Amino acid sequence: MANSDPIPRDQAPPSDSEETNGADEISEEGEEEEDTEYEEFEEEEEELDPVRERERLKSIFRRLSTDPVHVRVHDVVIKGNTKTKDAIIEAEISDLFKKPRTVQELVAAASIANARLKQLDVFDSVSITLDAGPAELPGTTNVVIEVVEASNPLTGNVGVFSKPEARSWSLEGSLKLKNLFGHADIWDTSGAFGWDQSLEIGTGVWVPRFKSVPTPLSARAFLLSQDWLKFSSYKERLMGLNFGLLSTNNHDLSYNLTWRTLTDPTRMSSPSIRRQLGHNVLSALKYCYKIDRRDSHLRPKSGYAFSSTSQVSGLWDLRGLKFFRQEFDLRAAMPLGFWNAAFNVGLSAGAIFPLGRNFTKLSTSVPDRFFLGGHSSLVCSLGGPSSLLGFQTRGLGPNDMRRVLNLNKDEGSSVQSDCHDFVGGDLAVTAFADVSFDLPLKIFRDAGIHGHAFVCAGNLAKLSEGEIRNFSTERFLKTFRSSAGVGVILPTKFFRVEVNYCHVLKQFENDHGKNGIQFSFSSPL
Amino acid sequence: MGDSRSSGDRHLFLVARKPRFGLPTACPSCLPVYLYLKLANADFSVEFDSSFPDSDHIPYVEYGESVALNNEKGGVIELLKEEAILDLNAKHTSLAIPDLVSTKAMVSSWLYEAILYELWIAIGGDVARNIYFSDLPWPIGKILHWKKIYDVKKLLGVTKVNCEERELEIYKKANEAYEALSLKLGDQVFFFDNRPTDVDALFLGHALFVLHALPETSELRSNLLKHDNLVKYAEHLKAELQLDSTPSSTQPSSSSKDASTSSAPRRKPSSGWGAKPNPKPKKEKTEEEKKFRRRAKYFLATQLVAVLVFLSLMGVPGDSEMDDEDAVDYDEE
Repeated sequence: MANSDPIPRDQAPPSDSEETNGADEISEEGEEEEDTEYEEFEEEEEELDPVRERERLKSIFRRLSTDPVHVRVHDVVIKGNTKTKDAIIEAEISDLFKKPRTVQELVAAASIANARLKQLDVFDSVSITLDAGPAELPGTTNVVIEVVEASNPLTGNVGVFSKPEARSWSLEGSLKLKNLFGHADIWDTSGAFGWDQSLEIGTGVWVPRFKSVPTPLSARAFLLSQDWLKFSSYKERLMGLNFGLLSTNNHDLSYNLTWRTLTDPTRMSSPSIRRQLGHNVLSALKYCYKIDRRDSHLRPKSGYAFSSTSQVSGLWDLRGLKFFRQEFDLRAAMPLGFWNAAFNVGLSAGAIFPLGRNFTKLSTSVPDRFFLGGHSSLVCSLGGPSSLLGFQTRGLGPNDMRRVLNLNKDEGSSVQSDCHDFVGGDLAVTAFADVSFDLPLKIFRDAGIHGHAFVCAGNLAKLSEGEIRNFSTERFLKTFRSSAGVGVILPTKFFRVEVNYCHVLKQFENDHGKNGIQFSFSSPL
Repeated sequence: MGDSRSSGDRHLFLVARKPRFGLPTACPSCLPVYLYLKLANADFSVEFDSSFPDSDHIPYVEYGESVALNNEKGGVIELLKEEAILDLNAKHTSLAIPDLVSTKAMVSSWLYEAILYELWIAIGGDVARNIYFSDLPWPIGKILHWKKIYDVKKLLGVTKVNCEERELEIYKKANEAYEALSLKLGDQVFFFDNRPTDVDALFLGHALFVLHALPETSELRSNLLKHDNLVKYAEHLKAELQLDSTPSSTQPSSSSKDASTSSAPRRKPSSGWGAKPNPKPKKEKTEEEKKFRRRAKYFLATQLVAVLVFLSLMGVPGDSEMDDEDAVDYDEE
């Protein structure tokens, strides 16, 4: 018999309550016999009711999961939020409970609502219950959302990571203060200290929505100091503001206003770098479109991913850097059907062009150009051309000779170690192919430790300062650097470790490619 | 302009601050170097830097793979002389040298301090802003301007307490220098033996800046105007060297360089505005030390990886998937 009413909360199985409250019954001496008889009668009934009730519930659940049981949401009740504004919670879930017409759809919507509220990261727990609607309105249900706000709004974490843009790995820590003003706002302060004495300090705020803007907004102030003396003879200091204007699953739009200073305390830089030293303002709008249909971003075995990042700098004529920068990244993964193996391929490309009159003759800023090299994971990182295993960070591409010092003019001796500065390229292309597989021992498989073999290639070219006229696709393809290798990947709770042996297949004069073992640390998430 | 270099001709590239006030470069540190190259009839091109107003390595002269920076070895002029690239004093007799050196010391110290004080402390910020910060965004230019004023006050030892006293002292020394130079110059075209020296480049740069860049209310300018022969000397040489026409130049970022061999300067304690101490030269590591360090790094890394493998095998990392405990569960057993 069809029954469109959902299970009312007040009609809980009596057997449960009986089971929990049976021990609390008190019997007196005077009424012991009657009580005993009454109890015996009740016990008989209790023995029959649980079975009947269980059967009844089973049939109801069977119906609910298979047949379309029509229901309408009458009201959404929010409980437990003492600090968080009702409007914030309602805004996250309001669109979900208008459409469902059946219990199945309602349960699915409740699942999504649960996930959305947990994503706010300001609640310790979220529970959603479907309660019976008013008696006078049959076929309706009330959705009760009960949240438990974070008991400790202050959280912190520490980790060790290596990033494509950094010279080596860094120790990072952050503190978060959640829900300070009840708008599910998250305030965070973070710091990162690199092995190469790079330093980053930042503080910011993130809100899931602000007034009429339905997407998350963020604002961040940061100070970053980075040392590129060994590779490009300059130190970089950045100070600025970053505003996240639009952030959804696929789209990200942000604005960055940065004061950048390049210095060379060693005074050994090449002429190209020497001319880039000084102060600059970066006023840039950055749009990123990302779609990741891979089954895992740490060890993908099927699916594809694509990202496109566009950056325009030189907004509002702040006398800053003017350029347009574009990156593409395409990945694909397919299972091989044995040893849990998967084949991953990737292709990345990027280009930067100065903006302005006679732009082909203008120069681009060195820090905004593309650099290849380093130890970051080929498979995990999705963000433009950067990694080329087997080569040192910033270890290939256009370079300029550093200053020569004559220690003793008479004897003619001179000092020049690491005599080239890598100045980056305006055009970058990288590609890789990777096969991952389980290791023979079960203990490794259970721990997620797996092996991989890879081959990768990449190249950089200069296009600015008139060099675009000399660019030749044939020569660009002929001068591709490449490397191959094998390695082991160890995922741990704190970070993901890659230990690779790399063999450089092709490199050119002044490149810093080296055969040997490399380590890489990245985020486990 | 980015004239190509030829290793034989030793074409020089001077990077200085931009021209203004009818001067080929408006910066009082860059102008003497420019004039020195002009007086030496050197083959050089000028490039302008407008993004690093607080640097102390500008002006600099590039020759081949080497470069003469302002904050090394007493400055660009001293370095060019030492490397025998350009030496205006070479043809002067040894008898003139002591006089030349003491005159140069007076110009380089007393008049240099007077220019610093006048430009950054005495007169308003317009002149300095036009020379150094006009190409930068206003907030950055302002911050750098304040920083420079602070640095100059520290260099000159000017505080709120002794401001007036220091001012009087600086102007007094400048006046004494003008009088001495005026007497030394007389009716000559140049200060020494009617041939240009580095003293001429230094004082000419100072005089042209004071006469053309500083406002009429400047006390330093008023003091210089009292010495007619010095003013005539400056104007005469300005016309002779054709400094009125702005030199053709390129911004540093659009030039391209070809490598060529050349001698390079030895390092000495630096001088100049905001001079920073020389970085200590890195100790040359022997091959054995490098090898030992590399092996030590590999050893430490291997130990770390072993610990991580042990921790991983002892505890499998949990999934990061969302808990589903609050969803309604229909699969009742």
